[in-house]
Amino acid sequence: MCKYLMRTNLYLLAIVLTVGCASPGVRNPSGVPVTEMRADERGFVTGTGIESQDLVTVTDRMARSILDTPEIQNFGQIPRVALDPVINETRFPINKDIFLTRIRTQLNRNARGQVRFLARERLEALVAERDQKRSGAFTSTTDSRVQEFKGADFFLTGKLQGMTTRSSAGVSDYVLYSFQLIDARTTDILWEDFAEIKKQGLEDAAYR
Amino acid sequence: MFIRFLRVHCGPVFLVVLCVACATTDFRPQPVRTGDLVRDGWAAITNGPVEDRVLWQYRTGLELIRREQFGSAAGLFDDALDLVGGRYGTDRSAKKSRGYFSDESTKTYIGEPYERSMAYYFRGLIYWQQGEIDNARACFRSAQIEDSDAEGQEYAGDYVLMDYLDGLASHRLNGSGWDAYQRATNSATLVIPERFEGVGNVLFFVDYGNAPEKYAAGEYREKLKFRDGGSRAIEVIIRSGERAIHLGAMDDLSYQASTRGGRVMDHILANQAVFKRTTETLGDAALVSGLILAQNRKTQEAGLGIAAVGLVSKMFSAATTPRADTRAWDNLPKFLTFGSMRLPPGRHDIKVEFLNDRREVIETLSQTFQIDVNAASADTVIIVSQFNKKDPTL
Repeated sequence: MCKYLMRTNLYLLAIVLTVGCASPGVRNPSGVPVTEMRADERGFVTGTGIESQDLVTVTDRMARSILDTPEIQNFGQIPRVALDPVINETRFPINKDIFLTRIRTQLNRNARGQVRFLARERLEALVAERDQKRSGAFTSTTDSRVQEFKGADFFLTGKLQGMTTRSSAGVSDYVLYSFQLIDARTTDILWEDFAEIKKQGLEDAAYR
Repeated sequence: MFIRFLRVHCGPVFLVVLCVACATTDFRPQPVRTGDLVRDGWAAITNGPVEDRVLWQYRTGLELIRREQFGSAAGLFDDALDLVGGRYGTDRSAKKSRGYFSDESTKTYIGEPYERSMAYYFRGLIYWQQGEIDNARACFRSAQIEDSDAEGQEYAGDYVLMDYLDGLASHRLNGSGWDAYQRATNSATLVIPERFEGVGNVLFFVDYGNAPEKYAAGEYREKLKFRDGGSRAIEVIIRSGERAIHLGAMDDLSYQASTRGGRVMDHILANQAVFKRTTETLGDAALVSGLILAQNRKTQEAGLGIAAVGLVSKMFSAATTPRADTRAWDNLPKFLTFGSMRLPPGRHDIKVEFLNDRREVIETLSQTFQIDVNAASADTVIIVSQFNKKDPTL
């Protein structure tokens, strides 16, 4: 009996050793092919910061909301909108223009004719072009001396604000996305809407 | 009898030897070092171990800042901070590093909180230099958040400069920043920063001294400890023409590194150390008693069995690696400070002098260079380091 036990023990130890010490090998040795995802889809690489799915959710909602504004619907003529950069007050560095760019393209795509945006970020090139036409260096189909650059009826802008909590239980980030349409003549805020997203995460114990 | 024992058990023993001999080891290709940090850094980022990539991005990014290659530095810090910001949830390398038979250093390096804070800080400086003050502020806020899970709450989020720059950025963006200024002055133990109203259009972000050093202490090197990197310089004077500003340190990274307190990982490593010690002691006892028993013909078989168990236990002990991860961002400074001047637009000569504890100028560290002050209302951001490799003629 004793011999039997000893022999069994040795076999078991060998198995344990095999399982315990053998390296697990390389996972995905050939890599993982690029996975195409929708921009509003939550990917497998995520943090608590501002991500593409937040951008899509927020801008879709804002674009819909702007079009429902009575001041836009009843403006009489097509309202001209200029973009004023979003103010980032969160703890996440971001490309701020991307929010307004997406709202603008959504509106231009889905509500063509209801609002018109002014290409202020291209103003330098546009002024240079006009000056060349005025000087006669370039041809012009209209009278180039007439001032045709439009002023803005509204400014579309926004602000991103955040609140962060960090403890041993993890990190929590709340971001408030607020956007405004401001009357350029009166400074009235004609429209305002917001979206809020909260995310929480806990890193592996190896990093705590 | 003994021959029979060997015959019966030589199979398993052979299997054990085979397992140990054939287990693959961690292969970590190390690129050849040239001594040029940027060249070595790029090589390590591209071809080195993937778990060390962020470390090399930090090191190389900072070196590039010191060589005034801010665009490349920004890219490296962005890559590194993407990983730092997305570290939540399952991480295979981190899980593996918690195992009894893996080094902590097998986990993907993201750095200790003071290192992560510094990555955000330096990225923030580049944002400021590029005129993106709100993104700079975002970085300073993240830097402070990284420091906010210290074991002792009195040391949580206590960087003076991060709060101060957060407030200054808000002030520059037409906000008040007053609450951040108050937090900064409450945390300040070295120098009280000046009020925002007095801050000029040329901002000097200065660092000097040597990075905190990490070392592993304890019987099995399972305890992560920090050593002060030291600094010959204690104070800085920046001169431009008749103007001069005296700067003392606002933050000390050695202090930040050592006041974080215990890590969760320290407990894991401590448990591994206990396991290693126990299996080793058990193995010694079993081996010795087994061999003694094996001397006697009657107890020979039992003795050899116990000795075999002892041997296996010692093998487990030997395979357990509780060693703490001491990979460190070693070209960080010790001290951080900030000062400003009001200078008219155009080119200006700047002289930076570092003073020792006897308030004598350390001539070997003095730097002279020229700066171009922005004509626009935008701040001119100058990053000065004791280790700068500035081109004195721009």
